[in-house]
Amino acid sequence: MKIKESPLFWPAKLKGNILFVLDETLLPERFKYIQVKNTKEAVDVIVGMKTRAFGQFLVVLNTFLLELGNGKNLLKRIETTAQALNNSRPTFPFAEVTSIVVGWAKQAQEKKMDVKSFVKKNILGYLRGIRMRRLGRVKHLAELIKDGDSILTHCNVSGELAMAAYLCRQQKKDVHFFATETRPFLQGAKLTCWELKRMGADVTLIADNAVASVMVDGLVNKVIVGSDRSCANGDFANKIGTYQIAVLAKEFRIPFYVLTQPSSKIQRGEDIPIEIRDEEELLVYSGKRIVEGQVKGFYPGFDVVPYNLIGGSIAININ
Amino acid sequence: MWSRTTLLVGQLQSILIKKRSIILLQGIFKETFFDSFKKTEKERVFVLEGRPSFKAARVSCQELLKRGFSPTLIADNMAGFLFYRNWVNRIHLSFQIKDENGILCCVGGLIIAVLAYKHGVPIKLFPSEENLELVGKSEELFYLNGAKTVPPGIKAYVPLVEWVPNKYL
Repeated sequence: MKIKESPLFWPAKLKGNILFVLDETLLPERFKYIQVKNTKEAVDVIVGMKTRAFGQFLVVLNTFLLELGNGKNLLKRIETTAQALNNSRPTFPFAEVTSIVVGWAKQAQEKKMDVKSFVKKNILGYLRGIRMRRLGRVKHLAELIKDGDSILTHCNVSGELAMAAYLCRQQKKDVHFFATETRPFLQGAKLTCWELKRMGADVTLIADNAVASVMVDGLVNKVIVGSDRSCANGDFANKIGTYQIAVLAKEFRIPFYVLTQPSSKIQRGEDIPIEIRDEEELLVYSGKRIVEGQVKGFYPGFDVVPYNLIGGSIAININ
Repeated sequence: MWSRTTLLVGQLQSILIKKRSIILLQGIFKETFFDSFKKTEKERVFVLEGRPSFKAARVSCQELLKRGFSPTLIADNMAGFLFYRNWVNRIHLSFQIKDENGILCCVGGLIIAVLAYKHGVPIKLFPSEENLELVGKSEELFYLNGAKTVPPGIKAYVPLVEWVPNKYL
């Protein structure tokens, strides 16, 4: 069965020497792609959260493809690009991805192969492999979702949940979704509701503080979230708010599933560097302050969820 | 004891938050409630936003500012982060109704109470400034500061209050 693709499933596409990155901050009002031509512009879209989650992964790999066309001393250029991307945001495992590409470049140089063609071939093959594995995970997710399920999700799962919802509809399953708003950027309201609706799914928006209410009232029977980083012991990091949802799911005995990309590079959740973003992103929305006066804000970007709160992981290998 | 964290703040500044130091406010409180804070707690009060109206945030922050405090606002999905780091000292929770089985409070109260229960953090109860309806209108979630937040055709469920059983209090 062909899967209808969400724009958030593959939100960055290389055409010639330009990488087109979907500006997720403008959705759902505007559907616009930002043109990225070099590493600096790639870092800007990542830091500005124009793309996030899996979109960052695509931007990283495609940035190397952009830089492969730029002059001599490719290994040095690839290493410089890797460093800039690694320093962009702290929580997503940029270094785990860029080190793969740097490794290919070194391998090519050591074996006296053409660095450009070897790295390019490997990146394109790697991306094809990831795409196939993610599509496989969408099918797996659709199998997990049963007729009559009511699923709570948080933030946005980069197209995969919406595509699974589409498959469920094709399979005549009656499924309902609750999407949390996900303050302060409202990815749940703006992205998840939007893409689920596009797929014809039945979705209801709730505030982040209504999660316990829908659980205790028996309105949800599964929780499905994504993850930005995984640890060797099974802990993972995901958008702020995920920890309290996991605690509540455990307390109210609701199965909690996470889409992960397992890694052994970092041992446990406490070791994940957590990004604290600018307080203004929390205190101001649409150009107006949430509260008046000299109020401070605290905006941690991610939660760590311990493995013992997870009911099941739906994993794909990205290494 | 101060616990040095490796959190990254903005452009890579590090921050220090003392273990079990934060006083977390959930709900809409009466004006007199704010007189109970000590001067030494000036920097320690964190206020939850209280979607959809933000009234909890506005009332608490204004009253604390009037008294020379420096409140810190967090979104309703950020409380768990503070508990996970073992930063919360105690919770002040407002309630509309209280009986021998529990309390009725602003939505979000149950999240905070379960987190407190799991992490062994004490909760202090205070009567609420106002009695909210059980459920709000969908439109309340469709806008934030006047800006539309969702595409057309989306439904919303907006519980405004919830029951917290004594088990968690």
